[in-house]
Amino acid sequence: MAVIKSNPALQALTLAALALPGLILPAAGAAEDDEVNFQYSHYEEGKRNLYNVLNNKNPIEVESVVGKARVSLSDRIKFAFNYIQDTWSGATPITTAPLAANGNRAIKANTANNETIITGASPYINNARMFLTQKFVPILIYDKTVPGKKLFRTAQPVHVLSMASPETRKQGDFTLGYEWDEAAIKIGGGLSVEHDYESRFGNLSGRLDFNQKRTTLDMGLSYTNSDNSAILDHDAETYITKKAFAQQIEKSGTMQILHGNRQDWATSLGLTQVLNKSALVQTSVAYTRSTGYLENPYKVMTIVFADPATLGTDPDHPNSIVGDVRAFLEQRPNERNQLTVGSRFIQHIAFADAALHLDYRFFHDDWGINAHTFEADWVQAVGPSWTITPKIRYYSQDAADFYHPYLISKQTYAKALADPGTLPANFSSDQRLSAFGALSGGVTINKKLSKAVSIEAGFEYYTHAGALKMGGGGEGSYSDFDYYLANAALNVNLAALNTGGSQSGHSHAHHGKHHGSHGPAGVMFGHMLDQANDVMLGYRYMYSRQAGDTLHGIQAVTDQTIRNNGCLQAFTKHCRVTPTYMDMSMHMLDIMYAPTDWLNLMLMPQFMDMDMDLRLLEGVSYNAFQDHLHGGHRTGGVGDTGMYALFKLFDTGNHHVHATLGLSAPTGDVDIKLRAMHGDDKGLLHYGMQLGSGTWDFKPSLTYTGMLDDWSWGAQFSATNRLESKNDSGYALGDMFQGTAWGNYHLTNWLSASVRGIYTVQGKIDGRFNRVAGVVDNVLVNNVNPGSKANFSSGPMDFGGNYGGRYWDLGLGLNFTVPSGDLKGNSLGVEWLQPIEDDVNGYQLEREGALSATWSVMF
Amino acid sequence: MSTKPRPTLVALIVSAITLSACVPVSPWQRGILAKPSMATAPTPMQDTLSEHTHSSREAESASSSASGGGCGCY
Repeated sequence: MAVIKSNPALQALTLAALALPGLILPAAGAAEDDEVNFQYSHYEEGKRNLYNVLNNKNPIEVESVVGKARVSLSDRIKFAFNYIQDTWSGATPITTAPLAANGNRAIKANTANNETIITGASPYINNARMFLTQKFVPILIYDKTVPGKKLFRTAQPVHVLSMASPETRKQGDFTLGYEWDEAAIKIGGGLSVEHDYESRFGNLSGRLDFNQKRTTLDMGLSYTNSDNSAILDHDAETYITKKAFAQQIEKSGTMQILHGNRQDWATSLGLTQVLNKSALVQTSVAYTRSTGYLENPYKVMTIVFADPATLGTDPDHPNSIVGDVRAFLEQRPNERNQLTVGSRFIQHIAFADAALHLDYRFFHDDWGINAHTFEADWVQAVGPSWTITPKIRYYSQDAADFYHPYLISKQTYAKALADPGTLPANFSSDQRLSAFGALSGGVTINKKLSKAVSIEAGFEYYTHAGALKMGGGGEGSYSDFDYYLANAALNVNLAALNTGGSQSGHSHAHHGKHHGSHGPAGVMFGHMLDQANDVMLGYRYMYSRQAGDTLHGIQAVTDQTIRNNGCLQAFTKHCRVTPTYMDMSMHMLDIMYAPTDWLNLMLMPQFMDMDMDLRLLEGVSYNAFQDHLHGGHRTGGVGDTGMYALFKLFDTGNHHVHATLGLSAPTGDVDIKLRAMHGDDKGLLHYGMQLGSGTWDFKPSLTYTGMLDDWSWGAQFSATNRLESKNDSGYALGDMFQGTAWGNYHLTNWLSASVRGIYTVQGKIDGRFNRVAGVVDNVLVNNVNPGSKANFSSGPMDFGGNYGGRYWDLGLGLNFTVPSGDLKGNSLGVEWLQPIEDDVNGYQLEREGALSATWSVMF
Repeated sequence: MSTKPRPTLVALIVSAITLSACVPVSPWQRGILAKPSMATAPTPMQDTLSEHTHSSREAESASSSASGGGCGCY
């Protein structure tokens, strides 16, 4: 303190500096402005090596969206909400087996010319005849068609790959925090829901600054309670030994569901210390205790039962032991204690105006795993608005004590079943528990578009290899894989929107005039920005559900009628199944810009997910080879992308008319296929479960809005016209026309309520799915789509005539606009659409309703 | 629990070392420390995403605090 000069300018600067939240707190408690973020990411693995068999399966892919909002409820109370949604699909290891067990069997198909070709690999987790030497080394027997060596002694393991149908996870969580000058406390909680897994969690954390804020102490405590209800793979289930979990398996209809609960308690303690004016260090310790069902319900352990008594029993291999290859649900200990100790050093590099972040973390658990993580980030500012952050990371871990690629047990399978004590208590071949190293690198690029808005893109490439393990001794190269992860994000600092900036003054002015003029939440293109250079950012969520009766026109029909009339285009002319429900959710981003006061441009990317379950129609008996009745189908990912231009036609202040001309680009997938069952391909998934239209669509609309005193009203006609007669999959969704009118009453200056009527008409689907080649009964056929001779197990949702109709709806909505404060100008809207009448084409599930929710901010 | 005394001990040692190494830094000298690049998590959206991905592919549990994440069973 002795060096302070009594300089008024310096004092003023100091005061100003103290007023900036970033300076009041050390970096550990970095300024948390009110902010909204959106992020999209794509994860994709490389194909795994199956050695002697062609791997034609798509590897795991994950599409995710994240939305985050953080707002100050008062100066000291902060609220944050996060929403995350992932959809994944692709091939993943179900187990690891000796190559000799022939776990990935070539799918050979006969073509029309009677040639035999290999179309891919199919998983076989049992094999009653795998030969071993007298020293228990597996013997690989080459196909007779391969010239040269016929037998080969090798312990070489290989992954056995199985396809996972698309699955979606949704997570919502919140934190509520209170901040004092030198301390903060946060509580949070959330829910993560998957079809087969539900996780609830809560956390409590605190921060304490002392030593003139040069030192910060962070503490955290959290609890997670998760329920597994895994539907065992209907194809593989009969080949899996489940005895150890018999008490936890529920039989439900045609499904076997494995239940298990786990609990995780975690505590952490962190200390951040400012070392000098350009460096700080953070150390942390965390302890996690997990108990309960810690297994991965979809991983099985391959055990080769090699009873020496079988030596010589096979006349073709008189010098070999005959091994019996079996698959057991993996067994892990019911308890895991984990300790992490980490340290992070952050140094500012003056000459480059960059920051170097160095991280090291050591992990230890009582499953025998020690892991080391090293990471270095270089955060480089480039000019006033760009930040480029290259990153490199190295990770290395030991194997868990009970990890084995596969086991060889010198007894018979029957004996092991009778006395499970002769097998190890725990075993897993999950490669996450194996010994390996991983090297990854990537870059994040952030560009500030204005004080308030920044965009970010990130890329990471990751390679997992046994040979990369620190000190050697890692798993063989059969388990190596790589992935990339790419993402794009948009960040809006809400506080900066309302603090200065040349444009914010007038936006507030017109907010005053147009408050609540957005119209009901379900109306798109309901208003225009009316000053040049205005920008609006919005987020729109729509959910709709169909469930209940199946209708034909306006009448509910019986199963018998659906069965006889719903699938007339089908090979057998009968339906076997019908949907029980269909849920659809859409997340949309509205980015709107006004180049002039009479023209607005708008970009609307979409992210979708769908969920449908089916049931067998009355009078049809279940056939495991035909009927997809195993927990429903889910799809998700990027939908179609809209691009619109809005033209102001007429505006007297109280009355306003604008026209919208739009194009929807076919960015959503229309070629999602059903998973193969029992080695048979099943073709393309139901029309309504595909993520886009697949065609370029023209979307015009005409909107009128009016207002007087506390009332506002409006009407809109909109249409969707498919510009192509069919998409890449061979069909086109029907054209659509919608008319709507609404009235809105302002109850207060921040709240209004709306009532709306909607009439929609949509045509049936034109065309039908293209022929897709696939394997059925080991024969390569050219059409495996639902309704074809090869795949006649289908329902009304597989026929284009059962789409579209005429619909009446009533909408009830509320709109909130924040009238003052930091969040001034933010609008929220919700609207529920209640179906009044459905008059459907063909046979369709009735609609239960739809919810729209919107948030928007103008700047 | 044989591991329990260790975190406390490690934390004490580390804090003793770091505290002794530091120089007094007054609030008005914290301009550099307040730069976004000096934040302990300069790219939080990216970190959450890659931690979530790493934790679904590695044995180490990435986060010490409950933040969801689902089964990651694929």
